[in-house]
Amino acid sequence: MTYVIGAACVDVLDRSCIEVCPVDCIYVGERKSYINAAECIDCGACEVECPTEAIVAERKARKDEALSLHLVDSRAFFEQPLPGRDAPLGNAGGAQHLGDVGVDTPLVAALAPGSAQ
Amino acid sequence: MTSLDVSTDVLIVGAGPTGLYGAYYAGFRGLATTVVDVLPKPGGQVMALYPEKQIRDVAAIPAIRGRDFVAALVEQASAGKPTYLLGRQAVTLEHHDGEPVVTLDDGTVVHARAVVLTSGIGMPTPRRLGCGEEWLGTGLSYFVIDPQVHADQDVVIVGGGDSALDWADALGPIARSVTVVHRRASFRGHAATLERVRAAGTRMRTDTQVVTLDGDLAAGRLANVTLREKSGDETVVAADHVIAALGFVSDLGPLRDWGLQLRARSVAVDRSMRTSLPRVYAAGDLTDYPGKVKLMSVGFGEVATAMNHVAVDLDPDLTLFPGHSTEEGPYAEEGSR
Repeated sequence: MTYVIGAACVDVLDRSCIEVCPVDCIYVGERKSYINAAECIDCGACEVECPTEAIVAERKARKDEALSLHLVDSRAFFEQPLPGRDAPLGNAGGAQHLGDVGVDTPLVAALAPGSAQ
Repeated sequence: MTSLDVSTDVLIVGAGPTGLYGAYYAGFRGLATTVVDVLPKPGGQVMALYPEKQIRDVAAIPAIRGRDFVAALVEQASAGKPTYLLGRQAVTLEHHDGEPVVTLDDGTVVHARAVVLTSGIGMPTPRRLGCGEEWLGTGLSYFVIDPQVHADQDVVIVGGGDSALDWADALGPIARSVTVVHRRASFRGHAATLERVRAAGTRMRTDTQVVTLDGDLAAGRLANVTLREKSGDETVVAADHVIAALGFVSDLGPLRDWGLQLRARSVAVDRSMRTSLPRVYAAGDLTDYPGKVKLMSVGFGEVATAMNHVAVDLDPDLTLFPGHSTEEGPYAEEGSR
């Protein structure tokens, strides 16, 4: 189980979720943030914090077509090499140490501006 | 042995739900028990993350508030009279003559016949400010240890949660001025505290971040900080001290270096809850094995398994099965022996 960040985060990147994550498992791409499912402890602190209600529990996200895509896409963010990179990000063990990744998945990068609305 | 030495049958590292239930269980098995935790109060993640939330997934308890649940665990554990070493961190683990020796950050040396690690997601460490780290220890801190240190200072507190507001509330009457800087427009902390802090004339700078700390670094005298608003506008405000209250991030902490077999953020255990080190067990969210589910219910089962194995390890004449807790006086009359 984990939580997933949907399109409502794109180009908003409020980062309030990052402030409350007790295990620092929310990583910033370029236009959107991604939760690392392998590091998430499922506490739910981020869900209530998001001003755009972009964060949804996996079990709910699975019932929504668009969010299901982001669920798969979020795994890809960590498990597949991102554009311009040779190796996947993997489990860095904390976003704070890593800094902003600065790259999005192809799915997110292709979203039109204003996708959050 | 010095005055800083403690001897115990079993040392439990981590006073969250799993560790507290482990303390009960160790007592039930007649073991002298010591519990260490880096936090000043027992309760671990429950108290740190959701003390007011209802817990609904513990057997026989339809719903219970987090802090009441912890209080009940402490009460249950008290039957075995565990010794608590709170606000202290287990820093090193070594073996002397085959038995574990754990040293705490205050110099206490715990000689244990067995250790059970129940430290869950690990040690909470303050989230960094992201600028001015070179001021840490002089003009920048992550905690308020003694409010009087800030008497007649211009203090800048960074953050939007309960800690930031509580400290603003506490320092209001003591400091020369208090400025709360928060990255967002709205605060997460309790509304009543926020109201009190506002009413006390605290300067509230929302949608604003701290970008630089400036002053005489060599002398350790901070003079001012630069704040940047969302609009990009920058202002400089006088500051003798910055308190960054940006929450906590947990990680394994020192036990990462104890030579345990690790899997990502977890400690590998076998079906007896043994780690890769002799006389060192682990239970709860800290552990990993194929099929692991990280839930309190599971942690309770794991720590019971661990303690029963500990009991037999320490006294081979005992049986693995403990007998029934329904029998009278399991503690007082050495009922488990």
